[in-house]
Amino acid sequence: MTTVLDARAERWWSTAGVGLLLPVALLIAWQALGASVGTPRTPLPVNIVKAAAVMIASGDLPAALLQSLGRVFGGFLLAAILAIPLGLLMGYSRAAERNLDPLVETFRPIAAIAILPLAILWLGTGTSAAVAIVAYAAFFPLIVNAVAGAKHVNPTLLRAAATMGLDRMTTIRTVVIPAALPSIGVGLRIAMGVGWTAIVAAELAVGAKAGGGGSGGIGQMMFVFYAYSIELNRIIVCMLAVGLVALLLDRLLRAMMKKLMPWAVQ
Amino acid sequence: MSPPGRPKGEYRSAKHEGSPVTAPAKLRLDGVGKRYPVAGAPDTVAIDEFSLDVRQGEFLVIVGPSGCGKTTVLNVLAGLDTPTRGTVAIDDRLITAPGPDRGVMFQDYALFPWQTVRGNVEFGLRYGPAGAGLDREAREERVRRTIELVGLTGAETKYPHQLSGGMRQRVALARLMANEPEVLLMDEPLAALDAQTRIILQDEMLRIWGQDRPPAERRTVVFITHAIDEAVFLADRVAVMTAHPGRLKVVVDIPLPRPRGDATRALPQFQALTQQIWSLIRDEAYRAAVA
Repeated sequence: MTTVLDARAERWWSTAGVGLLLPVALLIAWQALGASVGTPRTPLPVNIVKAAAVMIASGDLPAALLQSLGRVFGGFLLAAILAIPLGLLMGYSRAAERNLDPLVETFRPIAAIAILPLAILWLGTGTSAAVAIVAYAAFFPLIVNAVAGAKHVNPTLLRAAATMGLDRMTTIRTVVIPAALPSIGVGLRIAMGVGWTAIVAAELAVGAKAGGGGSGGIGQMMFVFYAYSIELNRIIVCMLAVGLVALLLDRLLRAMMKKLMPWAVQ
Repeated sequence: MSPPGRPKGEYRSAKHEGSPVTAPAKLRLDGVGKRYPVAGAPDTVAIDEFSLDVRQGEFLVIVGPSGCGKTTVLNVLAGLDTPTRGTVAIDDRLITAPGPDRGVMFQDYALFPWQTVRGNVEFGLRYGPAGAGLDREAREERVRRTIELVGLTGAETKYPHQLSGGMRQRVALARLMANEPEVLLMDEPLAALDAQTRIILQDEMLRIWGQDRPPAERRTVVFITHAIDEAVFLADRVAVMTAHPGRLKVVVDIPLPRPRGDATRALPQFQALTQQIWSLIRDEAYRAAVA
């Protein structure tokens, strides 16, 4: 028994060790190379860790992340409220799809950041513009996946519901929507990702327009470090923070879905 | 219009054969044909010139080689398929759509993957008209009883993907039975079960159908199976089909006394009827197996 466990632990260590080998080697190489031939501007792993510690201790980084997160959630919710019902309708009704699909597909390739000028002109450089950009970005993955989910309901299940005499609205509520949920879940995960991407881009750009002060957020923080104080290490800390938060959000969504949809085996 | 050759009232007395006394037709298939278009080829004929009355309270079993269109007959009765020729009616009303008066048990079970065993069995009562007039307590009691009947007690909170094929089939059976429809249309409902469970559920089928009640109070069942002994055990009449195209070959009366049980299977008459039906489909079954 112990030998089996030992062997298993050994295997875990060896796979984890192999997995970590390359990143650690790269970090060491980066540190060594940067310290020997780099300019004073070259960001080094050691300095990045130091900068992160300072930014976390001062509360600036958590505050900026929290502000951006609030905007992401706001835009995400707004998009979900609009896109999911609309997508379900399009997936269920041919007529709705024929009318709405060209509209959706025309706007879908237009990057969220491309509507920034309009958002700033209409909504200013504050939170509402940022929320609008996130909502726009999140809208498309949500609607596309909701359509797919409602469209690919196993037809036998609809037949079963029909033989049990369910009316149309009840069928939508009790068959179409539950059947579409796993696909909607995929949409939510993608939307969270693009929403987070969009907020950083939007805040960077809004920061450029509003100058150093204004609306904050992680993107604007990066802009300040770039344009005013020129601190590369801190910019990289921001980048890493953005990536880590995104990873965390995705894991959170996945865990929620597993809890809410135990039947959808991943 | 009655199908030719079998006018109403011609049926023999039930006293001798245990089937309902000259009951009126509950379901009527009249010259039904169903073709499916095939790209770049002649249409596939699933069934052709299919005429049959299923009497009120009758247990009718359809047997026939694979691909003879048994499932198409069932789908047409369910209103899930529209015939390309002929008419199909329930209580002399044309069938054009599915309805809660005709419950269906599908061959692939059609369980809702997001519902537990209990949720699936309860589904029709909860969301369909079958549960009208039942309060929550009565509904739960019926669901509990039906789950117990098919031997799924203890598995109520499992999801379909956690169940074996045989258990899924029992869930589908329980879902159909919980709705208590007037007409039960069943596509090989017991095929995935082990031999013992199968015999138990054959007995239960007869009980649910109402073999202990007077014929007028029985449900009407159309039941597809591959197993000839199962057909003989259950049926008032066995409709034997032939393939390519799917046609009704002959309808065999099963005059075994009711109520039927274990003793029925030991009757010489039971063996003789099984042999007789087997001889009717043997040649085609062999040909289908070789092809």
